[in-house]
Amino acid sequence: MNQESNMSANSKTDQSASALAQVPIENAKRWPDLNYFNKIIYGASSLAKGMKITFGYLINTKTVVTQQYPENRETLILADRVRANLIMKHNENGYHDCTSCHICEGVCPNASIHVVDRSEPTVSKKELGYFVWRLDSCTFCNLCVMACPFSCLEMTGQFESSTYDQSLLVYNLNQYSGATQNNLAKLADDQARTSAIKAISPYEGPVALEGYHLAGIPKEFLPQKSDAKTSQAREGVNP
Amino acid sequence: MVTLNDRISCHTPNQDGTTTQEYFINMGPQHPSTHGVLRLILKMDGETVNDIIPVLGYIHRGIEKKAEAVGYRQQVHLTDRLDYLCALMNNWAVSAAIEKALNLEVNDRIQTVRTIIAELQRIQSHQLWWGVFGMDLGAFTPFLYGFRDREKITEIFEKTMGARLTMNYFQPGGMMYDIHPDFVKDIKEFIKYFRPILKEYEDLFSGNIIVQERLKNVGIIDAQTALAYGATGPVLRASGMPLDLRKMQPYGAYSKVNFTVPVGTVGDSWDRYQVRIQEMYQSLLIIEQLIDNIPDGPHMTMKYAAKIKPPAGRYYTQMETARGIFGTFFVSDGNDRPYRMHFRTPNFNNLWSILKMAPGGRVADLVAILSSIDLVVPDMDR
Repeated sequence: MNQESNMSANSKTDQSASALAQVPIENAKRWPDLNYFNKIIYGASSLAKGMKITFGYLINTKTVVTQQYPENRETLILADRVRANLIMKHNENGYHDCTSCHICEGVCPNASIHVVDRSEPTVSKKELGYFVWRLDSCTFCNLCVMACPFSCLEMTGQFESSTYDQSLLVYNLNQYSGATQNNLAKLADDQARTSAIKAISPYEGPVALEGYHLAGIPKEFLPQKSDAKTSQAREGVNP
Repeated sequence: MVTLNDRISCHTPNQDGTTTQEYFINMGPQHPSTHGVLRLILKMDGETVNDIIPVLGYIHRGIEKKAEAVGYRQQVHLTDRLDYLCALMNNWAVSAAIEKALNLEVNDRIQTVRTIIAELQRIQSHQLWWGVFGMDLGAFTPFLYGFRDREKITEIFEKTMGARLTMNYFQPGGMMYDIHPDFVKDIKEFIKYFRPILKEYEDLFSGNIIVQERLKNVGIIDAQTALAYGATGPVLRASGMPLDLRKMQPYGAYSKVNFTVPVGTVGDSWDRYQVRIQEMYQSLLIIEQLIDNIPDGPHMTMKYAAKIKPPAGRYYTQMETARGIFGTFFVSDGNDRPYRMHFRTPNFNNLWSILKMAPGGRVADLVAILSSIDLVVPDMDR
């Protein structure tokens, strides 16, 4: 090391040392070191002091904070911003606002969202086919909700979603394949609207990376896509 | 150079000249007092720990590599998963780094709210540490009391952010939502509630003779050694060096508030314990000074675009979390994804100070030392 760099290193150390000296400090409290007999007296009194607090709580039932979940489900109040299961908002007639723009898919950090365009759109140029959401890989980061330009996604307070089968954690969020409510409103009547859309179930469609490929479930237990009975059974679990 | 092999094969003689057989034992990776999957190979002689070799990698998730594959907006949610007890401070550090790269000034409201929330998180983190510390020393009551009071802060967070542990709340350019209308009222209630409780913590636990005996003069490390090992936060401050970035390089609203930095005098487990307890009092003071006059303004200063493209360059930001200095370094090549992302996490550096603290002590002392460092294992491995 040459002298110049040595000096600059020194001045840097001095600078940080003076900055350290200016920090207002308070010393950590230390109990005094006691001799053997004082320790016995102090020890007994300190234990009594601790037990006083414990018995205080034992007697004072107002301090109980235990919640009896799941018995208190009806009275359980969750904050309105709680982020749990993702839903796609549908209006009172059951129509959504999603234009299948794929922004949420791009912003999702762990590929939990897979948007599939409708293969044969009827009203607009591009229509939503399936909105596949994988709960099993979702981290509830809320980025899809923030990024959606049409505000059609929402994280609800519904948090009880445990199942025995990982494949049941892969959902279709849209209730029908088809155009947005604005585009459907241009059609003549309800009958035209109904024929322009195709109703689908939460577990229908080309689900990307279906959960059972990962879960280690033997093949004979896997639901077959064409098997109507299995499909019904799956819907029955979590409609 | 002393290799690992040398350390394993060398023999530590007894003080009285006799020889006894040394043996190796694994502590962890599944051990309740390592607070996660940390494995320590202990070279022991009877009950005495002669050498200690930490083994990492049991919860390595490749977050730094994954960070190269996702955009800048997604980085924030990855930092939730490093030190999950300081998730919001990590969010802040990475958001500030991106703001620095974009040359973006955030307004006073955002800075003030971020500071308040960071201090709340510091209290919350120390509450959990206090509870678990008691549990490691064999007392179950502190664990319940710590979690009971932590829940109060978690509820405040849940109201504003909608999440309890992995918040992803501070975004580049501001916050995801504005604060909840009840935010100020709830925090004032909490401060009023928590001050007497903190006194109770000291009566119940700090003054206890068993705690005193187990912590005093156990695991001593001096300031120079701690600094050489890269230890920061309460571990370094307990050795007597008042290195606190909130004072040294004030960020957020820390330059506007008055507070002192608690430092230890001996550098033992007791000092590390007491420094954290006194930090909780200081955090309450900081919040009290800021809570009454949160400035008005928008909660987000940039358009919520899916992609962020900072100009090419290298950017580094560091902040004082509850465990020490958390630094974010990234290299941008002008694309929407970082070329390289690196996190300087406090726990990784704090861990190695046990190499100086533990040898010569008993196994039970090692448990107290580990707990007094306050390790979060996912933060080391990341």
